[in-house]
Formats: sequence, structure tokens, C-alpha cells
Amino acid sequence: MVEKIVVVTNRLGLHARAAAQLVSAANRYQSLVRIERLDKSAAADAKSILSVLMLAASRGTELKLTADGTDENEAINALNGLFAEGFGELSP
Amino acid sequence: VSKRARKGAGEQTWRGLGVSDGIVIGQVLRLHNGTCQVFRATIKEEDIERETHRLHAAVRLATRQLLAIKARAETELGADHAYIFDAHLLMLEDRKLLEDTEAFIRAERANAEWAVRVVADRFLAVYAEIKDEYLRERGSDIEDVTQRLLMALGGAERQDTSILTENAVIVAENLLPSAVAELDFEHARAIATDAGGWTSHTAIIARSLGIPAVVGVRQLHRRVRTGDLIIVDATRGDVILHPAHDTIEKYKVAAASSMETSSIVTEHDVAKLITLDEREIVLRANIELTAEYEGIKRFGARGIGLYRSEFLLSRHGSIPGEEDQFEAYKRIAELGGEDGATIRLFDLGGEKIGPRLTDHEQNPALGLRAIRFSLKNEDVLRHQIRAILRASAFGRLDIVLPMIMDLDDVRRSRKIIGAESALLESENIATGRVRIGAMIEVPSAVQLARTIAAEVDFFSLGTNDLVQYMLAVDRSNDDVADWFQTLHPSVLQSIYQVLTAANAAGIPSIICGEMAGTPAYAVMLLGLGATELSMTSSSIPRVRQVISGISHRDAHDIAMKCLQCGTAGEVEQIVRDEYLARWPQLFSTKSLPVIRHKT
Repeated sequence: MVEKIVVVTNRLGLHARAAAQLVSAANRYQSLVRIERLDKSAAADAKSILSVLMLAASRGTELKLTADGTDENEAINALNGLFAEGFGELSP
Repeated sequence: VSKRARKGAGEQTWRGLGVSDGIVIGQVLRLHNGTCQVFRATIKEEDIERETHRLHAAVRLATRQLLAIKARAETELGADHAYIFDAHLLMLEDRKLLEDTEAFIRAERANAEWAVRVVADRFLAVYAEIKDEYLRERGSDIEDVTQRLLMALGGAERQDTSILTENAVIVAENLLPSAVAELDFEHARAIATDAGGWTSHTAIIARSLGIPAVVGVRQLHRRVRTGDLIIVDATRGDVILHPAHDTIEKYKVAAASSMETSSIVTEHDVAKLITLDEREIVLRANIELTAEYEGIKRFGARGIGLYRSEFLLSRHGSIPGEEDQFEAYKRIAELGGEDGATIRLFDLGGEKIGPRLTDHEQNPALGLRAIRFSLKNEDVLRHQIRAILRASAFGRLDIVLPMIMDLDDVRRSRKIIGAESALLESENIATGRVRIGAMIEVPSAVQLARTIAAEVDFFSLGTNDLVQYMLAVDRSNDDVADWFQTLHPSVLQSIYQVLTAANAAGIPSIICGEMAGTPAYAVMLLGLGATELSMTSSSIPRVRQVISGISHRDAHDIAMKCLQCGTAGEVEQIVRDEYLARWPQLFSTKSLPVIRHKT
């Protein structure tokens, strides 16, 4: 199992479009991928958009990503990348 | 805001808010959305499997519908309106939703409809607790998907709006985004909804398509049936159900005369527009959404006067790459035809862009926006310039620089445009001749118009921002709405000064903004010296009709009088008196500005 701490940087947080990107990415991997708020108030299955939306992760929220499975490294890198680039909301 | 009165047998009138002008007599097409009534039923043990199968079948049906809607939204409304359906599709596929619903069916021996409703309500309850307002509002997406699923379970196909009769009037409680995207824009003649306001999705789409719409008509939806005769008078905000014979006759006359001013153009309309004293006036189109493209031809616009390129961004701020932009601008160039199209560089900043770049500005309107944003984020600017220059090989394109303060802004921008142009040439990529204009909307640019005119190819006047900056009044703040005075003499003097400077320098100017699309204001602009106006294309027929019925000389005399005034109230008084005296056939007291303060 691998894990990584990420921060939500895009202004509107994990809203529908960002969540859709996240879930689509997670679905490409076999591994079980989970997202947990660092404040422990909520945790989600990264392959369920409703559960991701329930994290209510607004901008600045710190999250812990965990992946467990044969392609856990690829999965966590892909998701980490999405957070790092603010779900494409910043880059031209 | 609804008022109901009975008249004769069965005729009922409601008053709502007209958000897109026009009069239509038609038949109701009642859309059931937002209110699928669900009842609890206890099912037999042996029927549980059948019930879960029904659930899965409904999910498949709803998925097929959503895929079709998404494809349609992409082509007709643009990718930025279609993305939301990706999220809706994922919700339908969501394991949590399916598993919870199935578990509920099994545990409670509940019918699938009830299970879907209960599970969705649990999600919605969690959502309602979210502190972040924006995220909380996303609950409406869950409700949209839930309704679609319930509809699919009911076995009722979502109504096929592609078989609309010629004169269908859409009546709904509230048009959810997916329902608006599904509408057959060819045959839907009018829209009336129980909910909604001026800025609702319904209102925006209706205006851009030129379909009359009345929103906020309380309790209308539950009282109509598909096929009922109905009159929508969006000009007054009235909706009349089961109209009596004489009411219909009365509205037929009114509808016919409103058709003259707001319907499809005749050949005569595309001809040159001249005033009675033969001054040629050019009317062009302001464009934001893909759905508006059709209106350019339909309403007889002479090309595109203002393409607001920031509408290419998705609702949440991601900037499309050079290739996507190139494709979009190429389409715009082709649509502009021989009259061409003017692309305004991204007017970004404040609300519209991601976090790092515009961190909590105290005064977004005075902050890092428009050309300032682009000059600070040169990569964004360079990509956009390249895309426009490449697209200009396919049709006449001009660039207008938004929010220019002085020549520094112009020169810095021109330098980058020049560099990108040279770069493209060295790569042997074809480009056309692109003119560069300055958007005049900041008081400093008004003051310095003469010097700016010497170094640009044209001026574009953005009246909305000009009023806001000239009077230091925030146009979105209701508390100061009384101070937002479009006809303020300082605004008129500014416009006059800018038009005069352009004229002296021998460059053209075009006026964009809501002022140009309002007939009474358009006449004032003509009087101040304007010859090119750009507006939402559905406003063109109205403005065209008025302009062809006046002489420039008269408009000029009135405008010069107004320039001497000290308050907006004095200007409004002159406008009312003079317009009514000179052009009683074109203006009525209703179509003229009200006077705020008696002078």
C-alpha cells in the first residue's frame, strides 16, 4: 500500500467537474484507491463520484490518498498529478 | 411575484418575469421535471430480484439518454456546457448509489422508485450540510440525476421534444441544465417556468436563441396540460392559459407586429441599413455561446463585432490549449464571413480564474483582469495570439485588447503579437492580416483617446464597463443601482470624446455593450457619432427598424443638447420629450427610459 498527502489547490475545490476527472482517472486502475480528509472527518472511495463529492473538499483542504493493489504506484502518481496541476484549471 | 386573475370562462392570467422578449400563441408542451412523485410500495420476497433488475434497466436507459444529451450539448452549446454530463454519467455508474439502492430494496422490500428517492435524499442531506456554498449547490446535479432515474423507472421515456409541433410552448417547473440541452430549439417557440430569474440558465439560453421566455410564474406548471392553448407575452411578463376568443384575436395582432421587429430577416433586411438622411449604419453581433451562431444569419448581423473569448473557458476556469482555441477561432472566422469577426482577448480575472493567480483581491474590478492578466501570464497570451493568427488564414479576424489604460498596455501587447507573428512566419505557417484595436472602457483611456488612436487600428467601446468605471458604481450591487445611470452626461461626453478622437485619427470605432442593443440608447449613440454597433443578435431587428426610421441629423441635435446636461435626469427628460415629439411612430412612453429624479 502506498500513500500521499495532497492539498486541493483549485479555487472551487473538488466540485463536479474536478471530481469527475478524479474518478475517471481512478477507474483506470485495478488498485483500491481511497481518499481521506486529514482532519479525519470523512473518507471516500476514489472510484465513486458521490462519495468523492461528500468529502466537501474545498480549496485548501488537505487529503491523504492511499492506493492498494498491483498498480498502486501508477494510480497514486496519476491522482497526485491531477491535484498538482489543479485539475487543469490553472494551466493554459 | 405572481398574480392570478380569472376572466370569462377558464381564461387565466399569470404575471411572471419576462426574461427574453416576444409574444407567442401556442400549445403547451408540459415537461415533467423536478417533481416525480414517488410512493412507497412493499414488494413480495420473490419479487426482489425483479425489482433490482428494474433498477439496473433504468440505469441503462438513463445512461443512454445522458450520452445522447451530452453529444447534443457539445455540438449546440459548446464543450463548457457539456462537461457537467460527464459528472452525471459517473453518478449513474456510481457503485455507492447502486449498492445502497439495491441494499435498501432488499432490506426494506421497497420498490425501486422509493429506494432511489430515499438513498438520493440521504446524499442530499449530507450535501445540505456542506459549508462551502459552491460545493453545496452541486446538490442540484444529484437531484437532476435522481429525477432522470425515476423517470426511467416509471417506464415513461423522457418526453421526446424532437416531435414538437410548430408552435410548442415549453412549460416546466424549472428547466434543469440537462432539460435545456435536450430542447429542440427549432420548434420550441417559447418557454414559461415556475422558477428562475433573470440570470437563470433558462433565461440566458432563451435570450441567446431569441425565444420569448417568462420565468417565476408560480404554480403554472401544475395547472397546465400538454396541448392546452397558451399565450406567452414575455414583453409584459404575462402568461395566459385557455385564452378566450377575443384575447387570441387581440394577441394575434400584437404577435404579428412583434414578429415584424423580432423575427427572421427578409432579404430587404440584409441590405444596407441607412438612416432617413442616408448615413450608413452597420449592426454586428456579440457572440458568447455556440448556440448563438445560428442567430448571426437569422437576424442579419454584418459579421461578429465582439467575440468574448473567455467563454471558451469551462465554467470553472480551465483555459483551452492552442489547438482547441485555433479550432474555435477558425469557426468564428468562417461565421464572420466577408464582414469578419473581432475577437476580444480573454477578459479574465477576479471571478473567472483559478486561485494562485488572483489570490483574494479586495477590488477585483480594479485588479488583475483582462489585458493586465494576460500581460502577467504571458504564456496564456502567447497561446491565444498564436491561435488567432493561425485562424486568421481562414477568414477576416481582428483582435481587440480589453481594458486598455494607456499606450503602455497597447505597446506591450503589440510587441508580443508582432513577435508571435514573426515566429509563425519563420515556421511557414499561414496567417491573415489582423487589425489590432483597443477596448476603451477605463476613464484614463477616454482621456488619452487621441494618443491611443494614433497606435491602434480601431476602437471598441465597452459601454457596460465604461459606465461602471466612469461613475465608480458596481453594476452588480443592488444597493447602488440608482447610481448606475447609463445616460449620465459624463458617460455621453466620454463616448463623444472617444468617437471624435477616432474620427480625427481616421480609424473606425464600434460600440459594444447593452446600450447598443436598446433602441432608445442606440439612437443616442448615433447622435454622438457612432456608425457601427454590436449587440446580441436577437436585438438587431428591433434596432434596425428604429434606425431606418430616423434621420441622423435629428439624433445629432438631441445628443448635442444632452451633452450640455448636468444630471442623468435632465438627459432622460430631453430624451423622452424629443423622441416622442419627433418619432411618435417609433417610440412610446413604455420604450423610453423612466426619469429617476424630476428636474
